[in-house]
Amino acid sequence: MTYFEFGAVPYPIREDISDAYRAYWEKLAAPGTWWTGEERVAIAEETRNALTCRYCAERKEALSPYTFPGEHDHSGNLPELVVDAVHRVVTDQTRITQSYVDDNVARDLSKEAYVELVGIVVAVFSIDEFHRALGLPVEELPEPLPGQPSQYRPSHLSEDIGFVPTVPPEGAVGDEDDLWRTGFAANVIRALTLVPNALREWRAIAAVQYLALEKMRGWFEDDTRVINRLQMELVAGRVSAVNECFY
Amino acid sequence: MLRASAQTSETEIDIHGVGGDADSAALGIEFGAQLMQFAEAVANRDQEKLPETRQALLDVAGPRVLVDAAGVAANFQRMVRIADSIGIPYDDTTSDMSREVREDLDLNSFASAQHTFAS
Repeated sequence: MTYFEFGAVPYPIREDISDAYRAYWEKLAAPGTWWTGEERVAIAEETRNALTCRYCAERKEALSPYTFPGEHDHSGNLPELVVDAVHRVVTDQTRITQSYVDDNVARDLSKEAYVELVGIVVAVFSIDEFHRALGLPVEELPEPLPGQPSQYRPSHLSEDIGFVPTVPPEGAVGDEDDLWRTGFAANVIRALTLVPNALREWRAIAAVQYLALEKMRGWFEDDTRVINRLQMELVAGRVSAVNECFY
Repeated sequence: MLRASAQTSETEIDIHGVGGDADSAALGIEFGAQLMQFAEAVANRDQEKLPETRQALLDVAGPRVLVDAAGVAANFQRMVRIADSIGIPYDDTTSDMSREVREDLDLNSFASAQHTFAS
């Protein structure tokens, strides 16, 4: 099956977008770093379930998400702990804390697995949001591929930002030397680097939806786009403000 | 980035467009009001407003603008979740521009500001 065929869509969706989405779907189906292909696709499925989860909707209104009892609506293909992490990233991400991530480690959701999970959730959610924004149905999820996760861990890590270890700005060397050029290691770029492939997948999608990493800094006009940088940043700013994202 | 882009391009804008004011969004930015309202509907996942704002943007700006705007909105639906799920602090809290934007938009009141100021 060929995914992301936009030929019948009433809008001229750029080919680089469909190519990038298709490439991500292939990666999603394959074994990752800490999750199998089957688990990765199940995480993608839960990303979608989160949007209609009654417990998530009720918990979002609660004063604290950590003392609100209930059960998620889910497909039953992942442990409850993992379902909860996926649903939180989609529906209540501003209230995720260091304690939540640490407690999950004690309950067998490692920081490495959590980072890969976040990477999958945000990539699938973002691709789905593109479809929803244009009034299009979301794409069918891919069939998982067999195989085992690589369990690769970068050799240079630091704990100076965020809830999890990250590759430091000077740590993009060796197998990680493609992650960024010197001077392009903003915290949001480093965020997922405990699983370097999560950043690589992030970058590939961002390059077609927004801008390539190297073009984000400064005033850059991408001649493949019809909106200019001011228009892009207005859209980006309003989405961030609605989500109450300080970053 | 909006204010930085405006300064670089020497364009007068009103940062309060990011806060949801349509007149402010329109200042100095072509289709600014429609882009802002479309972005807002995407971020809110507002099933009533989304078709309306999509059509409004389509009417004034055309389908290619709509597609590009949908891409940026979708991208930032992801960026905000990366930042908050990993709890990363903002890189630049000391510059005048950063302080001004935080004050103008009351960003320090956001729950996720704790990732920056608690450390």
